[in-house]
Amino acid sequence: MGSKPVIGTSLCKWTVSYFALAVVWLLLAEVLMVAGFGFPHDDIGGPDTLVIVHMVCIGWLSMVLCGALFQFVPVLVAKPLYAERWTLPALALLTLGLIVLLAGFLALGGHFDGPRWLLPVGAGLLMAGFTLVVANLGMTLWSGRPLPEPARFVAIGLACICVTAAFGGMFSLVLSGTAVGALWPDLLVSGVPIHAIAGLGGWLTFTAMGVSYRLLAMFMLAPDGDARLGRLARRGGAAALAVTFVGGVLALWKATGLNLVLLLAGAAALLSLAAYGRDVLGLYRIRKRRALELNTRMSVLALGSLVAVAILGAAFAVTGSLQSHAGALAFLVAVGWLSGLVLANLYKIVPFLTWLETYGPVMGRAPTPRVQDLVAKRRASKWFGLFFAGTWGATLLLLLDAALGFRIAVAVVTLATLGLAEEFVRARRLADVAEPLRLPAGAIVPHLLVSRN
Amino acid sequence: MTASGDDLVAQIRQALKVVIDPELGHNIVDLGFVYDVSVNDGVAHITMTATTRGCPAASFLKEGVANSACLVPGVESVDVTMTFEPAWNPSMISPGVRSLLGFAEVN
Repeated sequence: MGSKPVIGTSLCKWTVSYFALAVVWLLLAEVLMVAGFGFPHDDIGGPDTLVIVHMVCIGWLSMVLCGALFQFVPVLVAKPLYAERWTLPALALLTLGLIVLLAGFLALGGHFDGPRWLLPVGAGLLMAGFTLVVANLGMTLWSGRPLPEPARFVAIGLACICVTAAFGGMFSLVLSGTAVGALWPDLLVSGVPIHAIAGLGGWLTFTAMGVSYRLLAMFMLAPDGDARLGRLARRGGAAALAVTFVGGVLALWKATGLNLVLLLAGAAALLSLAAYGRDVLGLYRIRKRRALELNTRMSVLALGSLVAVAILGAAFAVTGSLQSHAGALAFLVAVGWLSGLVLANLYKIVPFLTWLETYGPVMGRAPTPRVQDLVAKRRASKWFGLFFAGTWGATLLLLLDAALGFRIAVAVVTLATLGLAEEFVRARRLADVAEPLRLPAGAIVPHLLVSRN
Repeated sequence: MTASGDDLVAQIRQALKVVIDPELGHNIVDLGFVYDVSVNDGVAHITMTATTRGCPAASFLKEGVANSACLVPGVESVDVTMTFEPAWNPSMISPGVRSLLGFAEVN
């Protein structure tokens, strides 16, 4: 077993760099959607749609999650990050890998005459990057055993990104027409649902759920000392993922189709989500801080998107229209739930990290501002309102097959994202901190893209 | 403790008010993070806590407490102990600040 728990963990130097790059990827993906690139103008499984899906899921969501986990896993287990020096190479590998992968999809879509190795090389670089991330966070978790419940969610999430990346790597061999890939002609049909569930459900959603237990408790000052809190949600989710992977591989092997597997996994996932909803509501009820801050209120809106996904998904499954509405549901998961949750939390995390970096070292020597003095709540509320209105509008228009309306709604989402990005930059620049507290003697304005630690 | 010792402790408590919890936005004395202050031969012994053990702010709070106590005339050195026993809870906040923060009075 490891050393004594540490008091206070240090800032991860590259976390804000992950955040900055991630926001750029989100904006790029949104601009492409506004321009009519990919779904719904193009096939949902077509190369152009895959460009956008991977920009959002790897460039934006995974990048932001990795950056946040480098900061939060040490907080969850009260141990230092295993190897901070691995975080920059991982960022470089993930970025380069994504660019090569996207080039591979563009070549596959006939946008330019690229070599066939682009997809496998891109996937290989991404796998190398995720390996560094998983090893780093995995070793940090290992040093913090026995793991508290939120950290167990993260551990399962890390296992899921491995599954996602492994399937992605195999797809790249099939799609690029290699001899190895030709051995698995049916892999794409049955493998894509597993790849998507492992990525969106296991890695992104499950990890976000786990971290949110701790964050919500911290922000609302709700006692979360009950070791059983989150246990049912974790077990239900872990069962859903295990059924998907084991059943999925068996179904692939026996070529029986995935319907039964997905039905069982869906039921377990619904149980997990219901338990999670109950837990969050419970934390809300026992919170000591009555007035909720903007980040928590916006997280609740994101959570509303997840609830809507669960209800709509179950309704479409019953009416047999799940397949035709899969695109709208995926959009609501990726943008309404995950992106909304991430943006709401970036609104808190960016000023908090900036505060620690700027004012932490001078604390006790001079009066310092509060974290909330680094942000302008009214401006940010307006952008968040626009973001969620645009996202829900875009989902509705997708359900109604109104492609042009969808693009207009995404333009609103893009504008809101730009507005929020500006708020994050202003927080880094201390632009909203009133004098004379802004720069006490000894404090330095932080760099925009990297933290001093 | 002598009367002047009591004065010194009061001065140290006053000096610690420059240290705020960045998240809650109030000084750590009114928030109840400072569990004990005593002075022995010019050495200030301060026992304090924070809301979360692994929080990156915790080490800055501890340094901030040492920095501010050092500035009090009569304090030659400072010894700060961070403890999580007992765990901090909002009932430790001074009543005025508690209502400012919109905290529940009970539960």
